[in-house]
Amino acid sequence: MSSRLVLISGKGGVGKSAVSAAYALAARRRGERVLAIDMLDGSGLGAHLGEHDLTFKPRPIGEGLEASTIDRAEALLEYLRVQVGIPAIATIGPAARAFDALASTAPAIREVVTIGKVLWEVKRGVWDLVVADAAPTGQIGSYLRAARTVRELVASGRILDQVEWMEQILTDAERTNLVLVTLPEELPTVETAETIEWIRNEGVVGAITVVANRVLPPLEADVPESDGPVAEAAALHQSLWEEQQHWLSQLPVDTSLPYLFGTHTPAEVAERLADFLEAEG
Amino acid sequence: MTKALVVTGAGGVGKTTISAALAVTAARSGLRTLVLTVDPAQRLSTALGIAIGNEPEPHPEEQGLWVAMLDATASWQEVVRRHTDPEVAERLIDNEFFAAATSHFPASQSFAAAEQAATYIDARAWDLVVIDTPPAAGGIDFFTAPARMADLVGGRLLRWLTGARLPGRRFLFDRTAKPMLRLADQVLGSNLLERIAEFFMDLRTTYDGVAKRARQIERHMRRATTIVVTTSDPAPMREAVRFFHALPEVASPPAAVFFNRSLPESWIDARAPRGTDAALAANLERWGVESQKQRSARRELGERHRVAIVTVPWQRRPPTDLDSLAELIETAESVPQLW
Repeated sequence: MSSRLVLISGKGGVGKSAVSAAYALAARRRGERVLAIDMLDGSGLGAHLGEHDLTFKPRPIGEGLEASTIDRAEALLEYLRVQVGIPAIATIGPAARAFDALASTAPAIREVVTIGKVLWEVKRGVWDLVVADAAPTGQIGSYLRAARTVRELVASGRILDQVEWMEQILTDAERTNLVLVTLPEELPTVETAETIEWIRNEGVVGAITVVANRVLPPLEADVPESDGPVAEAAALHQSLWEEQQHWLSQLPVDTSLPYLFGTHTPAEVAERLADFLEAEG
Repeated sequence: MTKALVVTGAGGVGKTTISAALAVTAARSGLRTLVLTVDPAQRLSTALGIAIGNEPEPHPEEQGLWVAMLDATASWQEVVRRHTDPEVAERLIDNEFFAAATSHFPASQSFAAAEQAATYIDARAWDLVVIDTPPAAGGIDFFTAPARMADLVGGRLLRWLTGARLPGRRFLFDRTAKPMLRLADQVLGSNLLERIAEFFMDLRTTYDGVAKRARQIERHMRRATTIVVTTSDPAPMREAVRFFHALPEVASPPAAVFFNRSLPESWIDARAPRGTDAALAANLERWGVESQKQRSARRELGERHRVAIVTVPWQRRPPTDLDSLAELIETAESVPQLW
């Protein structure tokens, strides 16, 4: 089976965990076997899936969906054991912790281990779709580029064999899609545009989809000139909508997700957004 | 005596805008005020009248207001230059790992911001320094970064590679004694570890200076007034609650929570008069629901943490000049004395 990968990124605060959960739920509704991975331990993906304590080992969340989180130390052990083929690693725990100290300071090693885990799940071929709630746009570059950085820094060593297949999966537009979640506001729009440009220049990922979150519907009436709450609410809505439209026009937006008024649990938010993703196909 | 006001909160809630608005308000009340901003939106930079640089510049039109922006890369270079020999400093900055290790270290931007802020507080040139915190980790980082920075240059990794003693620059770590090192060489290739270790040995020469500076910064930050900016959305709310648990360990507890983009409470129970256009009535209703959500969030936080709750009205347009920034605070309700 050839698995597909959706990596979800975006500026902090745009709702990327909610969108990640929605992608996973929408795929499950289509009957796909889905793995959702929280790439940055504790980002809130679990809450949006109604399962707060995600573990390194994928756990089922209802039919057709499993979820996990990346514990770096465990990911490193698994990486060395499964991918590099060093079996005795589990017996030298303190050394593994020290190795983690190295991995967390040496450029690209930590990122290779983290994204390597995600790509390994894709390579295994047991899922139709792997959805990864990935690093925010400020850091996503170092993950996408990690394999290449390793190639530039490392002249020999077994890690080189590993980064080759990682790059192949990442750059395959048929398999890998980077979803950039944004808000129709200035800073997320600017950051998303910069990220798209950077990715195009570097050529580090197959395909890009831009998803605008919390988009207001049009008012569908003229703002009345009277006083009072009706007119005030209409004037605020119209101004915010115009502002949003301005920023939406600055990006190649593929999908718009709605602003959800009122109080919803994280799980409800993800289900509602999944409804919209489903409707968009 | 220079006072410091640290503005924390999750990304995207309007921290930078509130920082600027408070600074304008303080300047207009007669205080010599410096605002240290992080990554302002283009319109906010324009409002602040700046091609903002790393050094404080007086605002061309507003007496008593100075503005500076944080540049994490430059600040790291300054840290290194300040705390080690010029020759070692240049070698570090040119090193292939420098950019990666500094930008990659999660607290780097926060440390740079905290150090820059401490420098300006020490300068005694201002009555008030308003500090906008970098979005990473919502600002807690800002308080913990100095200690973690000292730990980084103190070299957990280096100590592990070479033992507690600081050896000469040309070192040889004992691969036979450490099976992990042989393993690392197999995985990474034989000289990467050595190159990294050399880099960290250079970096370690900054340790005494950085550790001392870290302690000074921490003292400043413990004396600073802190506020939290949030909206009523769940993610920033969770972040705000986290501050109440984490801040007392490293800083003073928040003096106020600023709820940005607040809607009028009068919309909650407002009903559109008979005969109102259906779209307009529905619009009032959905914003009323939103306003109710905001009120619950404010009450919950205020009751649970016994803190001053400030409501900053949702503006139809983001502030574009100093007057509209000042207006944010003028129209806000229940702003406590912060300076």
